[in-house]
Amino acid sequence: MEIRSGDENTFRRVYDDTFPVLMKVAYHITYNTDVAEDICQDAFIRFYDKNMTFPSEDEARFWLIRVTKNLAINNIKKKAREAASLEKMKRAPQAGNPFSDGASELLLHESRQAVRKAVAELPEIFRTVIVLREYGGLDYKQIAKVLNISESNVKVRVHRARKELEVVLSREDVDVS
Amino acid sequence: MCLDDQILNTYVDGELEEPWKSQVEEHLSYCTSCRNRCNSLRELSRRIQDAQLSSEEIDTRKERVLALIEKNHLNKKKSSFMSRKIKFSMPQIFGVAAAFVIVFAGSWTLMGRSSSNVIPVPEIGYSIDVSNITPVRASDNAGASKSLETYTLDEILKNLDARGYDVDIRLKSIQPVNFDEVSEEKVVLAYADGTSITSDGVARDAQGNILATGLSVEGNTVLTSDGSVVFSELEVLAN
Repeated sequence: MEIRSGDENTFRRVYDDTFPVLMKVAYHITYNTDVAEDICQDAFIRFYDKNMTFPSEDEARFWLIRVTKNLAINNIKKKAREAASLEKMKRAPQAGNPFSDGASELLLHESRQAVRKAVAELPEIFRTVIVLREYGGLDYKQIAKVLNISESNVKVRVHRARKELEVVLSREDVDVS
Repeated sequence: MCLDDQILNTYVDGELEEPWKSQVEEHLSYCTSCRNRCNSLRELSRRIQDAQLSSEEIDTRKERVLALIEKNHLNKKKSSFMSRKIKFSMPQIFGVAAAFVIVFAGSWTLMGRSSSNVIPVPEIGYSIDVSNITPVRASDNAGASKSLETYTLDEILKNLDARGYDVDIRLKSIQPVNFDEVSEEKVVLAYADGTSITSDGVARDAQGNILATGLSVEGNTVLTSDGSVVFSELEVLAN
């Protein structure tokens, strides 16, 4: 069913369904919740104001995810140019409360930190694929659509990204213990 | 021959298609090392996913961003009066144009006559000093100065803003006017089924569709231009 992004009811429905995915994608690329929030807002405003027609709600979601991913990538590129990205990222606000309770929570917190750092260090082409797969919950076909690449390319990139993450994380684990 | 990581990753993601999927499963059933590798890839994926943003964090931001968009975009578009299409008939346009000409001509004549007069210019008599300024309440000199109604909403807002008030204005229960349905002609005859005839001799049904034009009304009888009677079988509601 064809939809228009400027229609208020359609907008609200798509917003409700898609915001969490966009927020995750934006966050796991920028690793800054405030920046991620701004990016999501920007993407939805563009979506509403442009009043575009999409053949389906899924296509609208793909558009939003693509725009969010691009905005987030642009943001980190700009940050990298400002040459402060890594330091800021380390001090980025945490999801959940790291001090809630117990040693297991602390370990989980450390593990999260290590994963985020490792994801942030991935080259862009692997990073976007792994973020869309692990955090966006998209399947290979959907990732291929969002990134405009073939499914087999997605397959290769997921594999390469995980391989790299595995190496970085195991090194990290050795450092910690 | 054992399975490579790429196939296992695809399998772990549930993206491996038949017949390869069954073949992989069969292999995993007896190959311990591949099974271990598969499990550790699953564990890696789970560990990556564990680092995701908490849902509470997402929910608070979701509400905040929506509120912002609603305030600045959704409601704006809806209540924007200026962007609404307004239809005028030709006589209305001529009427407004004529009024402008009259007002313009009138003021021009007056201005011309008073051109020798000195135009009063407001001047400031005192240097502004905090001690010269005394706060007044509206009731102190009610009637003497401008009442609240003489200020525009924009002026009031600016004033309050300058005093540091945080003002939020909302429009409530405003019904958009459908200009298509508003007829400037007076209804001279209305029937119980919603059909009405206006003074310009146009008959419309309940939905506003034009049924006939060039009608004339005599008492409760409606005549067309050639003198034949129409709508006589309907019950008259108002005349």
